[in-house]
Amino acid sequence: MIAAIRQIPPSQYVIHIGFLLIFAVFAVVLRNDGFLSTANLFNIVQQTAPITVMAVGMVFVMTAGEIDLSIGSIVAVSALFAAIVLRDLPWFAGVAAGLGVGAAIGALNGALVAYGRLPSFLVTLATMGVFAGVSRRMTGLQSVPIENDTYNALFGSGSVLAIPSLILWTIAAVAIGYFIFRETRWGAHIHATGDNARAARATGIRVLRVRFAVMVLSGTLAGLAGLLYAGRLHGARYTLGEADLLTVIAAVIVGGTRLNGGAGSILGALIGSLLMGVLNNGLILAGFQPSDQMIARGLIILIAVAMTLREPNR
Amino acid sequence: MLMKSTLAALVTAAAFMMAPYALAGETVGPGGEKATPTSAITLTDAEVSKLKAGKFTAALLWHTSSDFVNAVTAGAKAEFARLGIDVVAQTDAGFDSAKQKSDVETILAKKPSAILALPLDPVTSAEAFKPAVASGVKIVLLSNKPKDFVQGKDYVAIVTDDLFQMGKHAADALAAAIGKKGKVAYIFHDAAYYVTNQRDKAFKSTIETDYPDIKIVAEQGIADPARAEDIGNAILLKNPDLDGIYVTWAEPAEGVLAALRSAKNTKTKVVTLDLSEPVGLDMVKGGNVAGIAADQAYELGRAMATTAGYGLLGKAAPAFIVAPVLTVTKENVAKGWQDSLHRDAPKSVLDAAK
Repeated sequence: MIAAIRQIPPSQYVIHIGFLLIFAVFAVVLRNDGFLSTANLFNIVQQTAPITVMAVGMVFVMTAGEIDLSIGSIVAVSALFAAIVLRDLPWFAGVAAGLGVGAAIGALNGALVAYGRLPSFLVTLATMGVFAGVSRRMTGLQSVPIENDTYNALFGSGSVLAIPSLILWTIAAVAIGYFIFRETRWGAHIHATGDNARAARATGIRVLRVRFAVMVLSGTLAGLAGLLYAGRLHGARYTLGEADLLTVIAAVIVGGTRLNGGAGSILGALIGSLLMGVLNNGLILAGFQPSDQMIARGLIILIAVAMTLREPNR
Repeated sequence: MLMKSTLAALVTAAAFMMAPYALAGETVGPGGEKATPTSAITLTDAEVSKLKAGKFTAALLWHTSSDFVNAVTAGAKAEFARLGIDVVAQTDAGFDSAKQKSDVETILAKKPSAILALPLDPVTSAEAFKPAVASGVKIVLLSNKPKDFVQGKDYVAIVTDDLFQMGKHAADALAAAIGKKGKVAYIFHDAAYYVTNQRDKAFKSTIETDYPDIKIVAEQGIADPARAEDIGNAILLKNPDLDGIYVTWAEPAEGVLAALRSAKNTKTKVVTLDLSEPVGLDMVKGGNVAGIAADQAYELGRAMATTAGYGLLGKAAPAFIVAPVLTVTKENVAKGWQDSLHRDAPKSVLDAAK
């Protein structure tokens, strides 16, 4: 048993232990503050749903050796676009609009990265700025309410068999992402591309197409995250997603995905995302000042990263 | 710095208000409610003992961290302490509506009796604060009202600072400094920001209606406070004989002061809004700054906490409560800092004022 665990690289399981540890500490310290109540635990998963969805996309992107800095801006644009469409059209049109915009921006990123042969860091840094501006322009900084009840239930406040829809979206994104990432040929191609693009190309993998596709996937999932935010708030606003980029990257890295490509973990990203949610939640319930919440969160993430990323041969 | 923070505090939140509440001449609530001064918000000794016996708790849900928020928080905490109400949590949404919704949900796990909050915008905040309303928490709002929320049912009251009076105080201070006649320049915030727009407009309308001998000879919008010095230079070049300049808030005022200094202009008087160390220092050293209009953020926080007490006691609160404004000049600088932010003026300012 122990020998079997030793076979797994530490980066794959340290985060799980770390997560359990932090969770246990909060559970004990905050036992009288409602931390362990079902409502609060559901809150944590719901609050992190958009982060988790984006983190799944980011695992694909980073495993392929790229990065997508534009996800936060895509969230706002797709949420606003969906909200505008939902003023007059049924729920599925809004969903198509939100996902379509995300996919389209992802395709723009992907085309510039794969076929324009530009570094993804700079391409998405640029599109991040462009679409942050676009989201501000779209409605002149005004928020757009969503009054479509079907939409709001599906993507925000509804539930199926007492399970909130945001939790179901989290499960769906992680399960499908896990399957594609681990069990399909395309998943293997992504790993190979990120590990050694030249070798991947030599074995017949269409590296450019892989790069293009991961950017489209990431954009689409950012679009889905935008739909989830809009459903949760029953409206969209240009600030949605703006602060999420670093949280997503932290969740993905802490979850054991390598910054320079070739290896990643969908389940790790889920745990990383939940860790961010638990930290936010627990530090508030512990009664910390906002400034101290930030410091504590930063230090804990640093410790988690140090444990996850410490590679013996670095 | 101070300037910027007060501004940021109010601006972003209030920028997207759908129902502006400053009409010509006075500040009124989002539904046209008449303003009640914070000084009218008081509790009797019996009411205070009742609150103390209630073992109540409160949470503060702010939109950001800033000097303004700090002063409001300090005022609220001091008053809560007097009322025997324990502040159990404080959050900073970083201007993110989604984070604000998460903050509300998280806070509710602690089951506070009262919440003081600045809702980020009417649309998304309505959904964010709905669970708090449903759980029966007494909510006191700072400046903004979530869409369709009903006073007395969904929230206790709105407390805000008096935007019209801030602009008017600046106009009165400038008029007094230049002897109620002359030529002035008007540097306003060129953006769709509710707070600055209301304050700027109040300055302009006060000059135009109350001071017939003062002419606004130059009007210049400013979008980026970092460019204030260039704008100041251009205005001074075209109007070397200006008697006064209004600058929309302290950070750009610092740039305008730099322009005046490089033009060796000691005659033109400057007024601006919100306290800042460099502007205060120029004023006490007898520079160009004639006065600074500032809001009483600490008193605003005090009144929010007292209003929460109204809610917990079931005492009817006025719908719309407004914190007073003061004009800080060389003469009252130490007291001005205390009244606005409830802390000592920066040492440099106090030393220079001696």
